[in-house]
Amino acid sequence: MKDLPLADPGTPDLRSPGRYLLFCMRAQAGALSGAIAFGIAWMVAQAVMPALIGRAIDQGVAAKDTGRLAYWALLLLAAGIVQAVTGVIRHRFSVSLWLNAAYRTVQLVSRKAAQLGATLPKRVATGEVVSVGANDVAHIGNSVDALGRAAGALVSFLVVAAIMLSASRPLGLIVLIGVPLLLIAIGPLLKPLQQRNLAAREMQGELNNLASDIVGGLRVLRGIGGEEVFHRRYQVESQRVRAAGVLVARLQSLLDAFQILLPGIFVVFVVWLGARFAAQGRISPGELVAFYGYAAFLVLPLRTATEFANKLIRARVAAGRVIAVLRLQPEITGPADPVPAPRGNTLVDAASGFVATEGQLTALVSDDPDEAVAIADRLGRFADGDVTLAGVPLAALDLDTVRRRIVVSDTASTLFSGRLRDELDISGSGATAVLDRAVHTASAEDALQALPGGLEARVEERGRSFSGGQRQRLVLARALVTAPDVLVLVEPTSAVDAHTEARIADRLRSARSGRTTVVVTGSPLLLDRVDRVAFVCGGEVVAVGSHRELVASVPAYRRTVTRGEEDER
Amino acid sequence: MREILPVADAPDVRRYARRIARRHPRELGASLGLHALAAIAGLAAPRLLGSLVEEVAHGTTRSHIDTIALVIAVFLLAQTVLTRFARYLSFRLGEKVLADLREDFVEQALALPVSTVERAGTGDLLTRASRDVDALGWSVRFAVPETLIAIITTLFTVAAALLVGAWVAVPLVLGVPILWAGTRWYLARAKAGYLRENASYAEINATLAETVEGARTVDALRLGPRRQTRIDADIAESYAAERYTLFLRTVWFPVVETGYLIPTVATLLIGGWLHTRGYASLGEVTAATLYVQQLIDPVDRIISWLDELQVGGASLARLLGVAQVPDDRTPTGREPVHAEIQAADVRFSYLEGRDVLHGVDLQLRPGERLAMVGPSGAGKSTLGRLLAGIHPPRTGEVTVGDVGLTELPLDDLRGHVALVTQEHHVFVGTLRDNLALALDQAADDDTLRCALEAVDAWEWVAALPGGFDTRVGSGGRPLTPAQAQQIALARLVLADPHTLVLDEATSLIDPRAARHLERSLGAVLSGRTVVAIAHRLHTAHDADRVAVVEDGKVSEIGSHDDLVAADGSYSALWQSWHGDGVGSRG
Repeated sequence: MKDLPLADPGTPDLRSPGRYLLFCMRAQAGALSGAIAFGIAWMVAQAVMPALIGRAIDQGVAAKDTGRLAYWALLLLAAGIVQAVTGVIRHRFSVSLWLNAAYRTVQLVSRKAAQLGATLPKRVATGEVVSVGANDVAHIGNSVDALGRAAGALVSFLVVAAIMLSASRPLGLIVLIGVPLLLIAIGPLLKPLQQRNLAAREMQGELNNLASDIVGGLRVLRGIGGEEVFHRRYQVESQRVRAAGVLVARLQSLLDAFQILLPGIFVVFVVWLGARFAAQGRISPGELVAFYGYAAFLVLPLRTATEFANKLIRARVAAGRVIAVLRLQPEITGPADPVPAPRGNTLVDAASGFVATEGQLTALVSDDPDEAVAIADRLGRFADGDVTLAGVPLAALDLDTVRRRIVVSDTASTLFSGRLRDELDISGSGATAVLDRAVHTASAEDALQALPGGLEARVEERGRSFSGGQRQRLVLARALVTAPDVLVLVEPTSAVDAHTEARIADRLRSARSGRTTVVVTGSPLLLDRVDRVAFVCGGEVVAVGSHRELVASVPAYRRTVTRGEEDER
Repeated sequence: MREILPVADAPDVRRYARRIARRHPRELGASLGLHALAAIAGLAAPRLLGSLVEEVAHGTTRSHIDTIALVIAVFLLAQTVLTRFARYLSFRLGEKVLADLREDFVEQALALPVSTVERAGTGDLLTRASRDVDALGWSVRFAVPETLIAIITTLFTVAAALLVGAWVAVPLVLGVPILWAGTRWYLARAKAGYLRENASYAEINATLAETVEGARTVDALRLGPRRQTRIDADIAESYAAERYTLFLRTVWFPVVETGYLIPTVATLLIGGWLHTRGYASLGEVTAATLYVQQLIDPVDRIISWLDELQVGGASLARLLGVAQVPDDRTPTGREPVHAEIQAADVRFSYLEGRDVLHGVDLQLRPGERLAMVGPSGAGKSTLGRLLAGIHPPRTGEVTVGDVGLTELPLDDLRGHVALVTQEHHVFVGTLRDNLALALDQAADDDTLRCALEAVDAWEWVAALPGGFDTRVGSGGRPLTPAQAQQIALARLVLADPHTLVLDEATSLIDPRAARHLERSLGAVLSGRTVVAIAHRLHTAHDADRVAVVEDGKVSEIGSHDDLVAADGSYSALWQSWHGDGVGSRG
């Protein structure tokens, strides 16, 4: 088995879902041929067993020849051992194929997600990409895995056909034509069953959502009551699911019965004809037993073949979803021949006239919060715009350089799960002193103290074990640790209480002294502590000055930052 | 370490299973009986085929062959009909049991102490509510009936084989130790192996979901390579888990196959040898061989459902475990004598040995509006929750009319005090459902309208195409966080307790609108006692009294003007908020 994960998942063929599946198969041609070869050996070993039992009964038991009996019994034993051994080897190849295809797809999708960055949420719903990981990957793996068995099924069918036709042409033909017909006959029952099953599963899913909803809102319920109402609602839904389940049961039990009846009728028919032939001496008694075995055995390869067809169809749909994600391209890319990065750090947005002067802490206030966010996006080159860094257009710089020099931490910034130390110190510099200073600046010591193990503790998914305020301050600390030339913070303290906000404002100022920092905020506590405030109205800077100057001289600014208090008094 | 919710132990699970069996004796008996009859009907064919072979070998008539074939067909029909009804009955019983189980679970989950849920994390409970309910469903619908059927079939097939001749016991017994030892070895390791495997896939999905949801952050902080390393590490763990279970199967599969093969070969050999000695007929040897072969299928089904049963049992244990959480409320039946809420020398800790509140005394004056301010982590929210009777204090007491809040049954408690936090959960359902949560009877439209007007929400609700019957919550019409908070407050207005605790309940609403809302809400709530925890100072400014909570204690308490004059930490904050001389009154 190859070592997984792959060092390089390769360049996938994205022209069509089928080609993507082919790409997954071609990448592991060796294992695939192994799975096919052993799949054939395994199925054929099973296929010859009824014939061997038939011979043992004819030549050994009926003829009372212990030598021949031992001979055929030993052959049967050998066939059984071959079947067991080839079966497990086939299984190993098959698992290897499944894993290779599934992991490869996960690797490709996750690399794509990282490459797309900010473009991703704009183009596809999160759930879609996540379901690739949860479901589609398994479907792709299944199709690759079923291929080996399908090959074995085909060959074993041919072997059985040859054995039976050589024993009795009419009986052989009946079995060979009859078994596929049987499977087709069960088909019509399968469709309504699948539909009802799907309906029942959907209802079960809704019921689970209701339970999750109740659990998720448990704290809200406890605050205000309503447990009884929800319990009753759940009961009603649960009984609906039960009724749907009983409907499925009605069809399912019918199908189960038919799966006994149809092959059964067929076996009876074969036995009846076979016995007549045997009585006429056209076949031996042992061959009659063998035919009985084959009528039952042939269902297996045919079922495998239909299963493969189904899995292939599902895998194509899954591959379609995978390539839809893999085909996406980032909206913002760096130029083919970037110019060298400039030394200076003064950032200018031409559209709004906003200037972040080198070495200063500049606040950006807007009467419309969306305008401020749009400017921050342009400053960090998350959106195209006429922005220059020390006179050089950002669009002319290598994108990685832009991201290194200018870090934007916005309100949607998330924490990732992992050891807190690693999640805060993303560059991996490892200096505890730097971390401590950033945590202190962000006034996030309480978040650390609440954790057993402090910096060594594990952050849960999306940092959900922290309160909103703690999360926001940890995100701020993380941005500070990167110590970029230009730091753009969007509403860094919106979820923090006034005491703490005032403290953060003082500390931020000294922590970033001498470096270029932009804070998008409407909080007077922060605004009062920056070097300069730029007030944006209608998307353009209309006034620049200190917080107090602007409060005194610009009525619109005063209204924006004092949150309407002045007008009411 | 995180305290995980309890899991029921094996005797508890068995006791529960027995109780369920006793709860539906008739259905259970009928379905088992029918399955047994179906199994018997299915055993006729090999025996009859054996006699056919026998007769063919010795010469027979066509009509005799026809008769035997017809008899086989009749048994087949009987088996078909019996199977249909046996299956239907057992599926139906399964659905019933499953419904009972999940409803019990939800009822117990609804009664869980909030502190337990928080310590364990909602994640654990969510997993139980969805994945474990599903896993159990799979077990009850398929694994349990299939196993039962397979056991019945196995027993009858063995009996039928032994009826052919007692000698058949010898080849059958040869297979047992192989199957038993191999399967025992496998099962001892399989459960842990597959759990690890499942956990590793959950981890892969979680990492992928995080990368996708945080795509912008990944981009902004150049985390791409780190995310790649992470997913590759998850894959490596998953691969290790897969390799382990593959190793288990690599050993187990061939052993089991051998266990099936040896009895078949031995039956042929022993039967053939007995036939040469005249102790067994050709028909008997044939029938015995066919029975032994026919045993493979049910035995294989028992063996392969065993680990599914283990998984189902584990899920059941986790669902039943929820009932074992001790209740943190102890109703004593005492009735409050007045409507005054008081906290006396209250201490509280989430983690043992780390008190968050260090002896708080606070007396709420009926009808007052008290604002609580203070730095994050000082214990404001905790105090708010204790005042709302969500947690019992570690020492000291929180009482309404001299009765401890956690001595009151939940429904009574809500008549006195309710809590709304910044957690804005919108429940799946209509807007009406969401508003009337805490009401026993259906609320009429006018009442709902008044409540919505009080929280400034009537305008946008009236503009909804479906009005009160608009579906909201996950999958329904999305509400903004601000709208969700308005709904939460409207619920509170409808519940109408005499004391309300609002923990940052307007923090997500635009500041200017929030102030308007608080004033119109204040008008509706006049006469009610309101405790408002807020980080916006205008809330404090508008209140009758302000309590400053610092380091788990109430450090200052008094009116806004008194505290500003007192020149303490509140005063400093107020100056800073306004900026010296900017817009302040003096």
